[in-house]
Amino acid sequence: MNGKNFHAIHITKDKCIGCVHCLGACPTRAIRVRDGRAVISDDLCIDCGECIRVCPHDAVHSHTTSFAALDAFEYKVAIPSTVLYGQFGGTVLPTEILSALRRIGFDEVYDLSSICELNCAATEEYLNEHPRPRPFITSTCPVVVRIIQRRYPSLCGQILPIEPPREIAAKILRTILPKALGIPPERIGIIHLTPCPAKMVSINSPATLNKSYLDGAISIRDIFPQIISALRKSEEDALMRHLFPETQFSGIGMGWSLSGGETRGLKNHRAVAVSGVVDTMRVLDQVESGLLQDIDVLECTVCPDGCVGGPLEVENRFLAKSRILQLVSAAGERAVVDPRDVSRLYHRNFLSFDHPATPVESRPLDHDPTKAIRKAARRDRIFAGLPKKDCGVCGAPDCRTLADDIVRGQARLADCPFVEPMGKKKEKR
Amino acid sequence: MPAPEAVFRQDFSVKGGDFAKAGTVACRIKELLKDLGLDAATVRRAAIAAYEAEMNVIMYAWEARVDLAVSPDEVHITVDDRGPGISDVELAMTEGYSTATPEMRELGFGAGMGLPNIKKNSDILHIDSRTGKGTRLKIVIRRNGHGAS
Repeated sequence: MNGKNFHAIHITKDKCIGCVHCLGACPTRAIRVRDGRAVISDDLCIDCGECIRVCPHDAVHSHTTSFAALDAFEYKVAIPSTVLYGQFGGTVLPTEILSALRRIGFDEVYDLSSICELNCAATEEYLNEHPRPRPFITSTCPVVVRIIQRRYPSLCGQILPIEPPREIAAKILRTILPKALGIPPERIGIIHLTPCPAKMVSINSPATLNKSYLDGAISIRDIFPQIISALRKSEEDALMRHLFPETQFSGIGMGWSLSGGETRGLKNHRAVAVSGVVDTMRVLDQVESGLLQDIDVLECTVCPDGCVGGPLEVENRFLAKSRILQLVSAAGERAVVDPRDVSRLYHRNFLSFDHPATPVESRPLDHDPTKAIRKAARRDRIFAGLPKKDCGVCGAPDCRTLADDIVRGQARLADCPFVEPMGKKKEKR
Repeated sequence: MPAPEAVFRQDFSVKGGDFAKAGTVACRIKELLKDLGLDAATVRRAAIAAYEAEMNVIMYAWEARVDLAVSPDEVHITVDDRGPGISDVELAMTEGYSTATPEMRELGFGAGMGLPNIKKNSDILHIDSRTGKGTRLKIVIRRNGHGAS
């Protein structure tokens, strides 16, 4: 499962009917319909999950950890994304949700809002110490890191090299728990609860760590039914959690999953937050053209509105966002992390990447520059003869991509239903 | 430039004042250069130079034709605009010098870094301008050239 080409997103063959919805939705044009079924290119897929959102036949499956797989561990720890707090309507408090997770089988559950606050303080410190380059780009969204490695390789050095809260939290627990519990590290399972499939990819093939500190990621959608039934069964528990909350939630970290939440706590730096995969790519294009140098840090998340818009959540993102904003406002500016602890961890490089994200080889038309030039010219000629209806019947998302596939030897002009048989002869091979 | 069959050519048009499309030509040039297998650093230099040249047209000129010619070793970007021209090219090359209007500055443009930035990111820059007629920029970026930023 480990390795460069691990992907969390797969097509379930017997559900796919070969329609064209996912073709057009894919921002990297990674999907083709071949022999009546969608096929995802391993080289191009960035695991953003846009195809999951649009598939009308539930044929796009995301490969996340199953709850049953946790039985392999003697001690099970959950660190849920703060998105989870927005999934249960307007009165259920985070502390009840954490308690419900314990009741369904986790031995311990840790809130991430405090670690989000820690990450923000570390980011501030890093920006203070590194006046250049600008802007830095945060690494919380694993899809953004993968887009940069593949499409904007020259920006790899601008990824802010502080690990995201989920990895920092897992690293802290992995350091502390084995000694505290007297259980060997490999028998402690540390699991993230996630609204997005890409976290699974960052766990299986991390871009900036030698090995992830997490053992897996369970989709919020998969674990939701168990949490909701545990919540229903326990009114007394709810009352107790309301009166004796067990955790101090961080006001600075609580809104982390909303676009802009990662950088909201920065005091001395100018941040810009972008969400949505198309807008993220547009802004990264601008950064690559030398713009936005007056911005200190750019927060990009490919899901709309931030992680709260993840494809694997249950509640619609507008309600979830509203609930989280309520919690943010209730927590106020409450800080729960001692800045001296942050500084200590930061200067020990405990929060840093193991290594920078490196460019992933791009796909030129040909590795021989002269041949690539010839193929590009041929691609233009082919495209000129296509109908530009972008209908998807050929199996490619649009005419331009079909022309590209043809010169790469992955499709034929005859795949286009609009091209007259006569037309085929005109195109020189 | 080598023999014509070893050169990839494409031309684009840019309209003055079309801020809504700002950067689209530079983006397409960048995509093409990646498809042609140029290394990331060369692509980035070309993207920055093309973007600045495109913005100059959008801000100051009426219209322009952008010619891209790529050989295995060089990228040539020629921008031929119809516009007011540059009356003092040397002054325009000075960092921080700009004739941008207050409106443009409000949009974040007009920092006076356009031409200096093109020069910094290219290996050859020729400017040929006639006042009242237009400007022609010839930009050459060599693969592994010295103009790296």
